[in-house]
Amino acid sequence: MSEPDDRLASHFDEVTGLLYLEGQLDDEHAHEVSDHIAACPACGQLLRALQNESIWLKEALAVEEESIPAHLISAPQRNSAHWGWIAALTLCAAGFYTLWTGYIQPSLAGASQAGFSQGGVLQLIFFEGAFWKGWDAMRSMTELLAIATLGGLAIWLLRRQWRRFAAISFVMGALILGLAVVPSAFAADVERGTPSNPTYTLPAGQEVMTDLIVLADRVRIDGDVDGDLIAFSQDIVVNGHIKGDVIAFGQEVRVNGPVDGNVRAWCQTLSLQSTVSRNVSGFVSVAELADKATVGGTMSILGGNTELDGHIAGDLLALSGELDIEGSLGRNADIRADHLRIGPKAEIQGYTKYAGRHQPDVASGAKLGSPIQVTIPRTGPDYTRVRYYWHRVLLWGASFLFGLLLMLLAPGFFADAEHAASRFGPAVGFGALFLFATPVAIVIACITIVGLSIGLTAALLYVIAIYAAQIFVAAWLGEKLLGGAAPGLGAAIGRLALGLAVVRVALMLPYFGGLADFLIIIWGMGALILAVHRRIRPHVAAAATA
Amino acid sequence: MDGQKNTGAMSEVDLAQVLSQVRAGDADAWGELYRQYAPAIFRFCRRVLPAREDAEDATTEIFMKVRQKLGTYDSSRPFTAWLYKVASNHCWDTLRRRRIRQDLETGDFETLPLEHPDPGQLERLQEEHTSKEVRAGLAKLPDRARMALVLRYYADMSYEEIADTLGVRRPFVGVLLLRARHQLRDALGGTAAGAAAKAGGGR
Repeated sequence: MSEPDDRLASHFDEVTGLLYLEGQLDDEHAHEVSDHIAACPACGQLLRALQNESIWLKEALAVEEESIPAHLISAPQRNSAHWGWIAALTLCAAGFYTLWTGYIQPSLAGASQAGFSQGGVLQLIFFEGAFWKGWDAMRSMTELLAIATLGGLAIWLLRRQWRRFAAISFVMGALILGLAVVPSAFAADVERGTPSNPTYTLPAGQEVMTDLIVLADRVRIDGDVDGDLIAFSQDIVVNGHIKGDVIAFGQEVRVNGPVDGNVRAWCQTLSLQSTVSRNVSGFVSVAELADKATVGGTMSILGGNTELDGHIAGDLLALSGELDIEGSLGRNADIRADHLRIGPKAEIQGYTKYAGRHQPDVASGAKLGSPIQVTIPRTGPDYTRVRYYWHRVLLWGASFLFGLLLMLLAPGFFADAEHAASRFGPAVGFGALFLFATPVAIVIACITIVGLSIGLTAALLYVIAIYAAQIFVAAWLGEKLLGGAAPGLGAAIGRLALGLAVVRVALMLPYFGGLADFLIIIWGMGALILAVHRRIRPHVAAAATA
Repeated sequence: MDGQKNTGAMSEVDLAQVLSQVRAGDADAWGELYRQYAPAIFRFCRRVLPAREDAEDATTEIFMKVRQKLGTYDSSRPFTAWLYKVASNHCWDTLRRRRIRQDLETGDFETLPLEHPDPGQLERLQEEHTSKEVRAGLAKLPDRARMALVLRYYADMSYEEIADTLGVRRPFVGVLLLRARHQLRDALGGTAAGAAAKAGGGR
């Protein structure tokens, strides 16, 4: 401002000019301005420029560039919000019905004929013949589902944050991994059973020089395999020599021949009768390590009943119902079990740690490297201990930090999900649907050619979604409790903190806590799904302009 | 309020009749009212909310509110003014919920000094930019600035209504509008302000 003061004082400022143009000045001020512009060409010019700017703005705002979308052409009805949850609950019920009549019921019928116990329904679902016969038909549908999910995720991530390298690298990484896993799987010798001959047999004396992947009702390996053996079957018997790993998904897995690598099994019954040079890990209902069998490394068992009569050179890690040890252990045993029995011939050279509901039964002849360390945990939360409450506070803190991170990284999405949580019906409907349908889709994706990477990515997102569910419910709850939506980060943080505290307290209640947890998960997950859906849904413009 | 021009045309008599039918629960009348005004409200939302999907959702939600609140509408006032008030309150509420991060970035611009523009450069700026570019520039503005310009120059709202919607004092609306204009000029590639300041020839 280099002009002399007396001249500056005679001009009016830009705000006054605008207020004059828009008729917002009182009469006295308006007269002053009009008198001034009559004598001052510079101010007159400014006023004209401002007036032209107003016209320019109005014209620009009035220009029509888009038509009203097709789905907005008809008026919303009062009950339109109900459609969402009616559709979601119907879908959910249909999904359960399909699962029940298509898989669970035939599996249970087959299981009772075969003399199975009622336990392990999940294993029955996935390892009974009905499932294996049906999965081929389901494959195309689930492939489509899994790929569509990934595509949807990619679009969503790229749509809002495509400039962020992390989002791109994540999606591209998942796709490349997905593409890489499939060809590598096909580099192996892949054998399938046929309806006319559902049993695959590798005859004695024959040797497969690569990895062998077998999908059949029954698998019998009498010959040798130079690489890994990967088998999906009801009944797997390995009599030959496996120079790589044995990876088995089946109802009954029996390993009689030597294995140079590891044995990984997910099955109903695992029976090891031979030497496994490296480690054994099993997710099983019944596991047996026979008298003459040896394991060169660590044995990790997650299972119902486990009987160990053979020799384990390394550690034993067991999470089991009943565990019976009659054999020998070269190192330590870390056991969580319902009941532990250590027989008179047993020998454990390292330490033995046991945590379980019942006192262990240790025979007097058993040789232990050090006295057994026993922990009998109390069942259920111990409300009398300060540590319990401190633990709850830590859990609250963790969820609060997670929520805060979400809020700061994706405020728009966070607000969407919070808003979606207010639509309780649709949120619970969709939440229930996705909570139950997603694991089924993930398992199918993992075991079909859709690919392990996609399945595992989906599983990771699923776990994150379950954890994130409480955040959106808490944010909604906080807003309800504190009333209205005060702007600003501080108020939002306060609402989240209070909501999470209420959620934590609800989860601590005896009996009600479990139910509240379930409800919060499906509710919050549904809100998340609705928010994601909102971001990725297609926009259909009406053909006619509005 | 000097009358909103950006709504569907419906005579006062027709409108009064349709409104009374809607209040009586007539679904056809509600459909008629929606058809008349939804395009305008969608366009309003489209100008205020940067994301298209937000504008679509907001349009539906605004009409749900209109149906609920129709009993509170005072028929001595123009219906379009009331409709825009409901719409602007809803949109501002939506933006406010999302403004968490921006609140951290937005200073108290009420106290910031405004540079005077050079009228010649201002006119050139208007000549050089198409409506599409102006709309794109508008989308880059902070929520409050964009909202103020749309309320005033699209919805023809009075200063009182703007102050009420945005929760600011009435005398501040002029500063808010002028500041928004400055921000738009900057978004469109700079204005006279900077040049004038550099030349030391501020008014």
